[in-house]
Amino acid sequence: MNKVYHTLKTIFLLGWSIFVVFPFLWALTTSFKDANAITSGATYIPWVDFEPSSQGWTSLFTTGSQGINIIGPFIDSAVVTLIASLVSLILGTLAAYGLSRFEYRLGFVKNSDITFFFISQRIMPPIVLAIPFFLMLKELGALDTIFGLVLVYIALLLPIAVWVMTDFFSGIPKELDEMAMTDGCSPIGAFFRVILPNSVPGLVVAGMFCLIFGWNDFFFAFTLTFTETQLLPVSIVSLNSSVTPWWSLSAFALISVAPLACVAVIVERYMSRGTMSGAIR
Amino acid sequence: MLSSKHFFLLPALLTLVAIILFPLLFTVRVSFSSWDVFQSGLDFIGGSNYVRVFEDQRFWQSLQRLSLLSIISVSLQYTLGFALALAVWKQVRGGRLMRVLFLIPMMTTPVVMSVIWRTVFHESLGPVNDILSAFGVGPVPWLSSATGAFISVLIVEVWQWTPFMFLLLLAGLVSLPKEPYLAAAIDGAGTWRTFWQVTFPLMAPITIGALIIRLIEASKIMDTVYVLTSGGPGTATETSSYYIYIRGLRDFQIGYSAALSLVYLVIMIISLTIIAKLLLRMLVGKDE
Amino acid sequence: MLQIDHLTTADAKVTLDDVSFVFEAGKIYTILGRTGAGKTELLRALMGLNPLTVGTVKLDEEDITERPIRARNMSLVYQQFINYPHLSVLDNVAFPLRRQGKDKAEAHALAGQMLTTVGLGEFLQRRPAQLSGGQQQRVALARAMVKQSRILMLDEPLANLDYKLREQLREEFPRLVADNVESVILYTTTEPREAMELGNTMIVMHDGRVIASGAPADLFAHPPTKDTASVISDPPISFISGFVRDNCLYFSEGHLAPSEGLLLPADGPVTIALRPDAIEPDGAFNAQIGLSEFSGSQTIIHLDFDFGRAIMMVDGIEAFTAGNDISVSIRSEHIMLFAPDGGNITLRNNQNG
Repeated sequence: MNKVYHTLKTIFLLGWSIFVVFPFLWALTTSFKDANAITSGATYIPWVDFEPSSQGWTSLFTTGSQGINIIGPFIDSAVVTLIASLVSLILGTLAAYGLSRFEYRLGFVKNSDITFFFISQRIMPPIVLAIPFFLMLKELGALDTIFGLVLVYIALLLPIAVWVMTDFFSGIPKELDEMAMTDGCSPIGAFFRVILPNSVPGLVVAGMFCLIFGWNDFFFAFTLTFTETQLLPVSIVSLNSSVTPWWSLSAFALISVAPLACVAVIVERYMSRGTMSGAIR
Repeated sequence: MLSSKHFFLLPALLTLVAIILFPLLFTVRVSFSSWDVFQSGLDFIGGSNYVRVFEDQRFWQSLQRLSLLSIISVSLQYTLGFALALAVWKQVRGGRLMRVLFLIPMMTTPVVMSVIWRTVFHESLGPVNDILSAFGVGPVPWLSSATGAFISVLIVEVWQWTPFMFLLLLAGLVSLPKEPYLAAAIDGAGTWRTFWQVTFPLMAPITIGALIIRLIEASKIMDTVYVLTSGGPGTATETSSYYIYIRGLRDFQIGYSAALSLVYLVIMIISLTIIAKLLLRMLVGKDE
Repeated sequence: MLQIDHLTTADAKVTLDDVSFVFEAGKIYTILGRTGAGKTELLRALMGLNPLTVGTVKLDEEDITERPIRARNMSLVYQQFINYPHLSVLDNVAFPLRRQGKDKAEAHALAGQMLTTVGLGEFLQRRPAQLSGGQQQRVALARAMVKQSRILMLDEPLANLDYKLREQLREEFPRLVADNVESVILYTTTEPREAMELGNTMIVMHDGRVIASGAPADLFAHPPTKDTASVISDPPISFISGFVRDNCLYFSEGHLAPSEGLLLPADGPVTIALRPDAIEPDGAFNAQIGLSEFSGSQTIIHLDFDFGRAIMMVDGIEAFTAGNDISVSIRSEHIMLFAPDGGNITLRNNQNG
C-alpha cells in the first residue's frame, strides 16, 4: 500500500515537473533553431535533430530592419514596474499602518470599509477601467507615456500593497508602537524608527507581489501605449502578429520572463519560513 | 484638522480615489451616451445602451463561456495545487528544488508564455502533435477547432495558475498545528482518513480564500485568450472582457461598451458574493 | 507626586469607574486585582494610551491629562516581554535616552551601566530574541528605568515567567528599583503574595474601581469589604452565609459557630469568612473531604460542610482521600464577619481602640 502510494506520488511529481518545464525547454531549443529546423516539423535535441544557430539571440540586440530591439522595451518595463511598485509600496504601507493603528471615521464609513475599498479594487476587471483610463490619459496628454502607465499601475498595485501590509501590521503587537511613544517618539516617529525596521518580511512579500503583477500586466500597457512607450509583453505580442520567426520570439520570451522566474527563489524562502501564511489570510 | 493619523492614510486613499473612482463614475455617465466612432462626446440617450446589452446574445454567451472556463480551470487548479502541496509538504529530498520549480509559472507573464504555447500547440510544427503522432493520435486541431481551442486555453490557465494555489495551500499546510495530527495518529487514523478529518477541515479557511482569489482573477481572463486564439475560432473562446474590448477599443463604441462593462462588473460582484457565501457555508458550516 | 481624580474610561472591555488617588514619589504601589479588574486600564489611562471620558491626571500640580504620550515622562514594562526586535540589547536601553537628545556615546554609557545593574552586562550586543524570557524582561525593565522617568509602571511584569525566574526576579526587584527615588512606582499583579511583599502601599481594584488601599499588612488583617477580602486572600477565603441571634453566631443550617472573642452585631444575617488558617484538623465539625492539592510544602484541602464549603491548609504534604469524612475545628480568632452590604463588621474583645 505504502509502496504503491509512494510510486504514484513520485510519478505525479515527476509528471508535473515535466509539464512545468516543457514550455521553457521548448522555447530554449527553439531559440537556437534556424528556419530549416522549424519548418521541417518539431525537433528537440540540438546537434542531433538540428544544427544550433544563435541568430534568435543576436537578432534581439541588432538594430535596423533585420533586428528586433529588446533593450528599449526591457528598460521601459523595468522603469514602469519599479516606479509603480515603489510608489504603491510606500503609499500602501503608510495606509495599511494607519488602518491598523488608528480609528478613522467619515460619516458611516469606518476602518473596515476603507480597507475593503482598497482591497475590492482587485475585483475590478481591467476592461471596466480601460476605457475611462484611455479617455483620462488622453485628456492629460499622458497616453503612450511612462508617466501615464505608472499612474495606472499604481491603481493596480496599491490594493495589493495595502492588502499584504494590513495583514502584516495586524501581526505586530500594538504594544511595540506604544512603547516607542512612551520612549519619546511621536506617532510618525514610532512608525519610522520602530515599526518600519521590523517590517522587512512584509515589505518583501508585498514588494514581490507588486513586481509580479506590474511586470506581468499586458492589458493596460496594450490599451494605453502605442509606439513611444513599449513594454515587453506588448512588444512580444506585436512581434507575434507580424512575421517574426520563432527563434526570435522564443529568445525574446525567455528574456522577458527571466527576471521574475528568479523571484520564485525568494518566494520559496519566505514560504518555508511560514512568513507567507500571515500575508494570505 | 490634519493630525498625524491622516499622514498615513490620506496619500493612498486620495491617490486611489483619484485614479479609480473618478474614471468609474465617468464610465457610468458615458454608459448613458451614444459616444462612438462617428460621434464623440457626452449626449444623453437614456438607458438604450442597457436595453441593447440585455438583447446582446454574444455578450451573454461570452459570460456563459467565461463561467464555464473559470469554474473548470479553478477547480483543476485547486485539485492539482492541493495534490502538489500535499506531495511536496513533507518531501525532504529535492523538495526545495521542486517548490521553486512549481512556483515559476505564476511568475511568468501570461501573454509571453501564451506566445510560446501557441508554438507548442501548432498543428503541424508544434511538439504536442508530433509527440501524439508517435502514439498514432492526431493531428489534433488544437487552436482551429472550438473544443481544441477551449481545451488549449484551459491547459495554459492550469499551467499558469496552479502554482498560485500550490503556494497558498503549501503555506497553509506549513503553518498547520501539529496536535490534531498527533490525536489522529493515536486514534489510528490512516492517511486517507487523516486527510479528510484533519487536514481538509483545517485548511477550509485557506481553501475559501484561495478559491475566491482565483475566481476573481479567472473572471478577468483575456490576455491568454487574446494571444492564443483571439477569441476564435469564431467566438468559441471569446470571454466577456475580450468581447467588451472588441466593442470598446476596436469598434470604438465607447458608450455601449461602458454599459457592457458596468453590467459585467455588477454580475461579477453579485455572483462572486454568492459563491463566497456558498463556499463559506459548505466548508466551514459543516464542521461546526 | 502624581494625583489622579475621577478617572473614567469608556469604549473598552474593562472600563475605569471614577478612580482617584494620590501617589508619592519614591514609594512602590502595588495594584492588586483579578484579571479584568482594571489594573492594566489604569496604567494605560495614566500613560495616555486609553482615552478618558472624565478625569484629570496631575503630575506635581501640573495638569498633564491632555499631554501627548511621549511628553509624559512615564515608562511602562509590559507583561509580554516587549523589546525592539531590530535593536541590540544595548541599543534597546539607549533608545529612550537617544530620544531625549543625548548623544550616542553618553546614551550607550548610561545604558551599559543600567544593563550591568540588572545583570545583563555581558549580553549588550545580543538581540532580545536571543535571550531567555527572564533576561528579556530585564532588558525591558532596564529600558524603563534608564530614563529616570517620574513614573515607572510595571504591568504584571513577572506573570509570563516560569516559577523559578519569577521568584528570583521578585527577590531582586526592590534592589533594582532602589535608585529610582524620584519615581512613583506602580506595579500591578494578580498575586496577593507578590503585592504584599513588594508594595509600600497596596491598592486593591475590582470591577474598574479602587476598593481598598493601605499598608499591605493592615489590609490583609482588616480588609474593609468582602470583595477586598476575597481579592487579597490566597489560598482563597471561604464565605459562608450565617446569622446572629441572641448574641450567638450560627451557620445557615443552624449550626452554632464559634464566636469566642468576637463582638457580635445585632441579630440578622451576616457572612462568615473563613481563611484557611481558621480551620484545623480534629474538632467538633464534620466535613467531607473534596479535592486536596499541594502547594509548596503545604496541603490544601477542600471541605464540604453541611452549611457550605471551605478550605483548610495544613503544613507538610499529607494524603487526604477524597470522599472520606473528617472532623475539624474552627478557630474563632481567625473568623471575619461581613454585613450584607459587604462591609467588614468584625470586632474583637481584645482590640484596643
